[in-house]
Amino acid sequence: MSAPVPPPPAPRSDQALYVGLAGIATTGFGLMFSPLKMVAFAWLVGVMFWTAITIGMLLLVLIHHIFDASWSTIIRRQYEHWLSAFKWLALLFLPLLVLSWMPRHSGLVWSWMDPATPLPGGHGTVGTDVLYVKKSAFLNLNLFTIATIAFFAVWVFLSCKLRKHSFAQDADGDAVWTLKNRWWAAAGIPLAALSLTFASILWVKSLEYHWFSTMYGVWFFSNCVRGALSMGVLMMLWLYHRGDYAGLLNRNHLHSIGQLVFAFTVFWGYVSFSQYFLIWNANIPEETFWYNLREQGDWYWVGMLILFGHFFVPFLYLLSYKHKVVHAWIRPIVIWVLALIFVDICYNILPAIKDARGDPLPFLSLTLLWSLTAVIGVGGICVWAYLRSFPTTKLIPIRDPRIAECLVYHESSHE
Amino acid sequence: MSKAYGIIAAFDDTREIFQACEQVRDAGYTQWDALTPFPIHGLDRAMGLRRSKVPRLSLIGGIAGFCTGMALIWWTGAADFRLIVGGKPYFSPMFAFPISYELSILFTAFATILGMFFLNRLPMHYHPVLKQPQFARATSDRFFIVIEATDPKFDAARTRALLVQAGGKDIVEIEG
Repeated sequence: MSAPVPPPPAPRSDQALYVGLAGIATTGFGLMFSPLKMVAFAWLVGVMFWTAITIGMLLLVLIHHIFDASWSTIIRRQYEHWLSAFKWLALLFLPLLVLSWMPRHSGLVWSWMDPATPLPGGHGTVGTDVLYVKKSAFLNLNLFTIATIAFFAVWVFLSCKLRKHSFAQDADGDAVWTLKNRWWAAAGIPLAALSLTFASILWVKSLEYHWFSTMYGVWFFSNCVRGALSMGVLMMLWLYHRGDYAGLLNRNHLHSIGQLVFAFTVFWGYVSFSQYFLIWNANIPEETFWYNLREQGDWYWVGMLILFGHFFVPFLYLLSYKHKVVHAWIRPIVIWVLALIFVDICYNILPAIKDARGDPLPFLSLTLLWSLTAVIGVGGICVWAYLRSFPTTKLIPIRDPRIAECLVYHESSHE
Repeated sequence: MSKAYGIIAAFDDTREIFQACEQVRDAGYTQWDALTPFPIHGLDRAMGLRRSKVPRLSLIGGIAGFCTGMALIWWTGAADFRLIVGGKPYFSPMFAFPISYELSILFTAFATILGMFFLNRLPMHYHPVLKQPQFARATSDRFFIVIEATDPKFDAARTRALLVQAGGKDIVEIEG
């Protein structure tokens, strides 16, 4: 028996805050080079990317509790820390909401908010568009505002409950906290599922309000979970190499989360293909236009990048056991998946910016640059929130009823 | 009079057989097996077993299924009996994809199940270890290690000594 090694010092959070603020400032600086519309769309990309990942983490914690899972106890605490970012994401979404209420800028991002927005090709305005009028009971500014506030309220509320109960268990070890969280998981899963579905419809899909897709919420869900799992792997590896997880994390934990990364790759492929295939097969103009737009200019190559890069590459790569458990193999693929989630979100948001002829503006543009700075900005704030919560509790839920089972998951490994 | 099959030793609990397996593994034997009433987590590593080869067969099955699906739709719709359906082309990977996907899964499942049976050499209705007088207890409360005579390191006296040293009880030589 060797003497216990003292745990490494708690990580500093202020650097993440500076990175976040610098990213936000750079995005704001973009207003000197690009119109407000481009920067607002880029900001939407940044906020959607991290909101998706944070929703994914909320879902994974809820699913952990509903299944009374054991192996994921090791990573659950890190997700709980990250969930403290929801209140900041709500704050970062606020500029888009404020913009929607400003009479001069309403309709800038979501064109249906302003009935005077002209339709491309001189076909009247949004207000006279029968497809808008029929959908206006759902697509209106009042409902959009109330729903946006309600979504964040649900996410912040569930996160607070899950965090409070889990942290309280560290102090007294009472199993009642586990049961309370299981109860909230049962109540929270339908709430989270409905809120993330309607959030994706209102915030992203309604950018092109003519379109129909019943798969949209599921597509968004698959990216949420893929992002959360990928971040989970990165947090595991980071804590292992810092020394916190020494003797705690074994090969089987990585194998299990790697299998989920693989499974949700297949799930994303299944859902995205289903959406495309049904529209391709039915061949109705109100639906096909969405993909036709995305075959214009360089968006065609972005589509191909998503098809091969977001499905085939991780699918084939993660078939191998070794690629799921060896740190140097699993790390690059989860970073790749996170990058492709960013591209996928761009693919869904940015082609809604059109030129006078109704064609989408190219992918490789200043808007992409501001999208990247927005992702860095919002991401810095999320990481800051995570690191700020990190030192406030134990590294793992040491008195969780499943923690002993989790730590000897299958067998302890010396690697 | 048939040839010797190997030497079998009994153990009383999981800890004993776990440590005995590590000793047999470290002695460099390759043709041997542990027989337990239930799965013991980590025993594969204590025995020095490599990961199963079944996934490779699964992959071959999956690729075969995918190609079968694509070929089926292409052959029936675009080669053997050309027919326009719903204004679509004779062949497109789009509508061939669902059937290819389903056949990938089906053939992967077949290859996995059949490959597992093939590599396990199952079903096997007779095995020499059944001659061990107490062997029925391997399904209830006893643990066994059998080292086969075909192992290049096998030597009746030295192998028996290894099993004795590893804590084996009721050590007997069995015939094939």
